[in-house]
Amino acid sequence: MLELLPPLNEHNLPWMDTIHPIVVHFVIAMGLITFVFDLIGVLTRRPALFEVSFWNLLFATAAIFVAIIFGQVEAGLANPYGASRDILNLHSTIGWSLSGVLSLMSGWRYIIRSKDPQQLPLAFLGAGGLLSVLIVVQVTLGNQLIWVYGLHTVPVVQAMRAGMV
Amino acid sequence: MEAATAFIPAGSPIEQLAVDLGANGLPYALPIHPNLVHFTIGLFVIAIAFDIAGALYPVEKRVFRFLALPVTRGGFHDVGWYNLLACAIVTFFTVAAGFFEMLLAVPLPGVTSTIGLHSMDPMLWHGVGGVVILLVIVAMTVWRGYQRFVWRRDMGRQVQWLYLLVGLGLFLVIGLHGTLGAELAGEFGVHITADQLLAAGLDLKESLP
Repeated sequence: MLELLPPLNEHNLPWMDTIHPIVVHFVIAMGLITFVFDLIGVLTRRPALFEVSFWNLLFATAAIFVAIIFGQVEAGLANPYGASRDILNLHSTIGWSLSGVLSLMSGWRYIIRSKDPQQLPLAFLGAGGLLSVLIVVQVTLGNQLIWVYGLHTVPVVQAMRAGMV
Repeated sequence: MEAATAFIPAGSPIEQLAVDLGANGLPYALPIHPNLVHFTIGLFVIAIAFDIAGALYPVEKRVFRFLALPVTRGGFHDVGWYNLLACAIVTFFTVAAGFFEMLLAVPLPGVTSTIGLHSMDPMLWHGVGGVVILLVIVAMTVWRGYQRFVWRRDMGRQVQWLYLLVGLGLFLVIGLHGTLGAELAGEFGVHITADQLLAAGLDLKESLP
């Protein structure tokens, strides 16, 4: 499969820089803001915010599949070392799981919205809270891969190619 | 002319803090600014995208009917407004965290980035650019508020075409700005533990098992 991609650069990537961290802007921001707007909507009785969080949730769901596609390609080229191997495995597992969780929640939300867009069951608010926790855990793992282990950064790729890692 | 380095005092202010900082140059393991950036970019992009969807509503309503997805034009513009409002609030913190972490940043010397910048250049541009973008986002939020609550409150299309155009223009600026930020991390090793350890001549097999 890899011969289908352009030659690898100093980030060990076939493109300029990592794309996965750009796509996840939309999963993280839209996923978490959904819960924030739902919470404000319930507490201040502003049903207009439920519509805003519905669309944000739908966008987070669409974006996570794109994030996974780039994530898998870039993970395959990451050459993780030491403890980052386990972190990357866990990050991949939670990532795929999140695509299922987000899809289910989008479907559930679509039904809630079709029945009565002015009401939000507390059960969905609770699920949104759990989703937020899952996103925060996933973001923390991804942060460790880049900010601690420096996967795909030029100095680490250089050291790796020199056989020093 | 004497070299500028002659005027730089030997003890950099960062040394006063050095004992409290980790290998990544921060008093904590994971930088905060890049995480707040997710919100600034995500919320801004989606805000403009949904205002575009609201503006082009007459064209696309058949598509949504075909998809059996009930939509309202006002709903799209609500996303455009509330996401931008949230973006403006978060971005103050994004810039504040960015400046704190920039004060502690040590770009690796001797690096030339993919777009041809050297050591301090991308950091200075990224710092100034961040403040400019914050100003533009706040100004656009005020502009968006006037359109929503005063000038266009009774109109179906809640935003001016010029507003959408300025929004798309800022996409480009943010894209370039984000590229600088990404280079600071991925090429200059700013606040990346592994990169800083390697620059210090350490072996990652022992120092980062």
